[in-house]
Amino acid sequence: MKLVPPDQGMLYYIIENKRPDLAKKIRDTGIIETAVVGLGGQGTRHAELMQQYGTTITAGIAPGRGGTRLLETIPVYDTIKECLKEHPSIAVASIWRHYSTAKDATIEVIEADIPVVVLISEGIPLKDIRDILVAARKHKTVLIGGNTPGVIFPPEGIKAGMLPDVFYPEEVSPEAFGPKGVTIISRSGAILYHLSDALASVGIAQNAVIGVGGDGAIGSTFRDLVPLAMAYKNTDLVVVAGEIGGCQEELLAEDIKKNPKNYPKPLIALISGAHAPEGKTMGHAGAIVSPGQVYGTFQSKKHALESAGVPVMNSQYDLIAEVQKRLQKKTYFDVENYYKKMKTIWDAPSKKPGWGTLITKVMPNNLLISGYPLQDIVERKGFLETAYLLVKGEFPDKKTVEEMRKIAVEAAKKPVPKVTHLKNEDISKTLVKYFVLDEELAQYPEGGTDGAVKKTIFCLGRTARYLSAILGTEKALGHLHGNEPFSHIIYRAVTGNSTVNEQHSRMIEAMIVACVDHGVTPPSAQATLIAASTRAPYEVAVAQGVGAITDVHGGAGAKAAQLFTECIMKSKKENIDVAQATREIMRKYIEEGKRIEGLGHRLHTKDPRRDVLWNFSSQTGIAGKHVQLSKMVSMIFEQVRGMSLPINVDGVIGAIVADMGLNPAMAKAFFIYGRIAGLSGHYFEEVASQPRMRQINFTEAVYKGKGPRSIV
Amino acid sequence: MKLYENEVKKIFDTMKIPIPKQYGVIHSAEELDHVPVNFPLMLKSMVLVGGRGKAGGIKKAQSMAEAKSLVKTLFNLKIKGLPVESILLEEAVDDLGACYIGTTMDPATFNNVVMVSASGGVDIEQVAREKPESIVKREIVDNAKTLPKKIAQELASALCNDLEKKIDTKKRNELQDSLADIISKVYETYQRCDARLCEVNPLLLTSKGVIAADAKLILDDNALFRQNDLLQMLGISEKRHDVAERTKNELRAQAAGFPYIDLLPENFIKDPQKLYVGLVPGGAGYGIFSIDEVATIGKRFFNDHIIPVNFMDSGGGPTQNRVTEMFHLLMDYPVVDLIITSRFGGISSCDIFIRGLIKAVVERHEKGLRMIPIYGRMVGTDLPSARTFLEKEKHEHADALKDVHIIIGNQRIMADVIREGIQKTCESKGWKP
Repeated sequence: MKLVPPDQGMLYYIIENKRPDLAKKIRDTGIIETAVVGLGGQGTRHAELMQQYGTTITAGIAPGRGGTRLLETIPVYDTIKECLKEHPSIAVASIWRHYSTAKDATIEVIEADIPVVVLISEGIPLKDIRDILVAARKHKTVLIGGNTPGVIFPPEGIKAGMLPDVFYPEEVSPEAFGPKGVTIISRSGAILYHLSDALASVGIAQNAVIGVGGDGAIGSTFRDLVPLAMAYKNTDLVVVAGEIGGCQEELLAEDIKKNPKNYPKPLIALISGAHAPEGKTMGHAGAIVSPGQVYGTFQSKKHALESAGVPVMNSQYDLIAEVQKRLQKKTYFDVENYYKKMKTIWDAPSKKPGWGTLITKVMPNNLLISGYPLQDIVERKGFLETAYLLVKGEFPDKKTVEEMRKIAVEAAKKPVPKVTHLKNEDISKTLVKYFVLDEELAQYPEGGTDGAVKKTIFCLGRTARYLSAILGTEKALGHLHGNEPFSHIIYRAVTGNSTVNEQHSRMIEAMIVACVDHGVTPPSAQATLIAASTRAPYEVAVAQGVGAITDVHGGAGAKAAQLFTECIMKSKKENIDVAQATREIMRKYIEEGKRIEGLGHRLHTKDPRRDVLWNFSSQTGIAGKHVQLSKMVSMIFEQVRGMSLPINVDGVIGAIVADMGLNPAMAKAFFIYGRIAGLSGHYFEEVASQPRMRQINFTEAVYKGKGPRSIV
Repeated sequence: MKLYENEVKKIFDTMKIPIPKQYGVIHSAEELDHVPVNFPLMLKSMVLVGGRGKAGGIKKAQSMAEAKSLVKTLFNLKIKGLPVESILLEEAVDDLGACYIGTTMDPATFNNVVMVSASGGVDIEQVAREKPESIVKREIVDNAKTLPKKIAQELASALCNDLEKKIDTKKRNELQDSLADIISKVYETYQRCDARLCEVNPLLLTSKGVIAADAKLILDDNALFRQNDLLQMLGISEKRHDVAERTKNELRAQAAGFPYIDLLPENFIKDPQKLYVGLVPGGAGYGIFSIDEVATIGKRFFNDHIIPVNFMDSGGGPTQNRVTEMFHLLMDYPVVDLIITSRFGGISSCDIFIRGLIKAVVERHEKGLRMIPIYGRMVGTDLPSARTFLEKEKHEHADALKDVHIIIGNQRIMADVIREGIQKTCESKGWKP
């Protein structure tokens, strides 16, 4: 269903009156931006419902939560000021803070000159409300509430508040809505819904539905809002729903008599409380009827309004009849159609649970990191830039790349704690020991918006040093010069050579980058996410993920390297062709019940990382017999087993490692090294965008990040 | 929350607003013997309503014998339906003139307003109606914490002008200063205590200076959370309700944490010709409106034989247990013939509502407790899961839920749901309205 463009709706009309500059932006973009202030349970829950209704929520505001994300995708700021620096077009703020802190939050928003402020918080002390009103008057803010269910503009599909989505706009065709209708303004939320319902049941549309709030002192009253609604060209009639207590209705009546030109359209009132006993408090702070008051009773309100020419109703039936009479039986939509549409809303199945990640979209034969195809990243970007992308969602600019390189080089220079790599110990376990014991890493700050990426880069620098300590190559890291590319440091650490072979160095980096991430479902990512959900420190959560990389998960590269080496050696030794040797070894493996590693993937039939690594190995002149074998191994396996299994990235890396003459264990080390970057991304995303200690259902994750894009 | 006079005077004392000497508060006639007092003595009934003097609740005793007899009379008195449970004993001061000082929020502008009048000691609302020109008002537009000196002096000066005949002109300046001081302090008390109203009536001009002879303070319930020190000083541990006598149902609802008001007197005897409707609406506003709806529908379609029995506010986001208790309360109330309920889920969830409702009905069915028909409608937040749950339960507890008629969605407006519920219940009783 096509909605009315925002710049034709009533909300725009209100904004235009207050802030013509913002109105221009809305006309240019076609979007009215809103912010949600206060991200407790209610604020967060209703942020989602507002967004589902169609409201554009640009930012969330919650002190201490700056840098995190609301609903996994919306940036959160500590203060409205910081928010407006990034998003100057925010025109509406809804405030959901607790009554004890609502005052300061609201005044801050008002002073930031947001033109429309909807104060949902209930139970705010009157003294605080008065301070808020003083600020709102000074800044000419359209303040709705406090204690309001909010406002909803059905034609534009915008809501700020907690009103259920039952209000219905004018239908100009079966596919499109129009902006015309009746405006309902009410002191009570539930009465709003019942009036909307009553009017819709006879085909009367609503262009705005406004809850003014039930407190003893509120921002905008009937006297402020009725003339505003009437001045908006698409309003045909206004209904106000008042109730006993307070004097808003009486003041409205007085104003109608005094300034009739401000009330050019039909106005109908519904007043509740005809049968309320005197002297009893009925919920709303405003609804106290004290005996002897000259205002505040049902009779005083009815009398005042009727004497100003406003018909006063006290039942749904009468209201419907009166509105129909005033509108001369006009209908805005087909009621049958309306009920049918409503029924589809009510009958919709419960929403599938799901949660979002912005990091990697995993599809068969396709891996996109923040929208970029992984194979392109392998080809064109370095490890640090890729790590930056995983944590921040964008590649760094040139200056930042250099800054990151410096952090990594510094990290690689510092000595590491004394850790023994036991014989036959899985390299992942040794790395876990380093992560847990390394105080340099633990103490490296991670605060602020850039803290996460800096800590990640620092960690990657440290990991180079851990690897060199494990491999006994620390000497090669002895004389790092100031401009040393990080890939050289990795090369030195892995090979122990102080003289860098540029081709090998690039190849190693490419293999590492190929392994950086595979979404949230690999066990290593799950382990890190669970730790992150408990807000474990970064290095502990990454260690959990690294510890989960075993022979079963992520260890295939090393095994594949061994297999290929064994096959090539056998062919040499027995002087038979490689395929023959491989077939024989595979048969032997199968007889012994051993797995043949490097083949098959649960998702990819043509691993997107395969060709780019093969090509890289050819271009660098590294590809030799092992790589050649890796290109045939799938076919050879089929000849032996009768079924086809594609080679996977582990198989390709195993073959390249073998051709480079590196320790087969390096294939696994590269996998782990790359994956640390991905785990870091997942750690910081979890901390920034998810509630603590949530139950994580990994198969329910949905990619919500950037669409496919190319590296420029 | 209204405070008793002696409590307000304690606060005034800390604010250095002069008050008569306080001897004590007694809860029985016997206690009078144990309180050292001087004569003449003021005996003041501690009830939270205005007009105590007119109702005979405030007396002056010249001797112990007179005091004893007056105390007995007072303890047997009911003022506007409220029994006198305690009496304040205080010094009687001489009265050379009385004025009024009050601070509250103007309900029209939401600004603080300070009011003074030289016509003190009488019903100020009556003064406002009959002699509005005798009340001088100043609006404080910036919600200042303390009253600007200039305004305090202006108000005090206005008071002095009106009091002219009663005061010694030589002492005018001194009086104006002390009045300005008290006016400022009353305003400051109002602001500092988060009050809705702070009033001195009368402020007596005595030979010893001005004295606040009576004091009224209503605290803002929303601000009680930050007035701990004040409440502690007064020894108030839980929120006091302004409504005088609570009915059994009201007390039960209060314990369960939801607002409820009986529209019929306690121990009401049912008219067998009439149908009594209990209401579980959503929200306070619809709580008030649904009473009107039931009454109007009763008048229009059922010969005025339909009586709504209660106000209830299930408010924003009640817990499941609270919803259950709402239904139990009305089903335990023998007057109720039928319950009408509505859930328009905005902040609150249809799912929690229906679970709470069904739990109540199923529990009652299992225990063989009184059951009455429930008619209603639910729409809004969490409706799909609420519907799934209702369908499942209707299947599993068909017998218990046979008289639960909840419509899903808004195909029928609430007025129709109310009308139908009444119609069906009448029919089941064999009535032909």
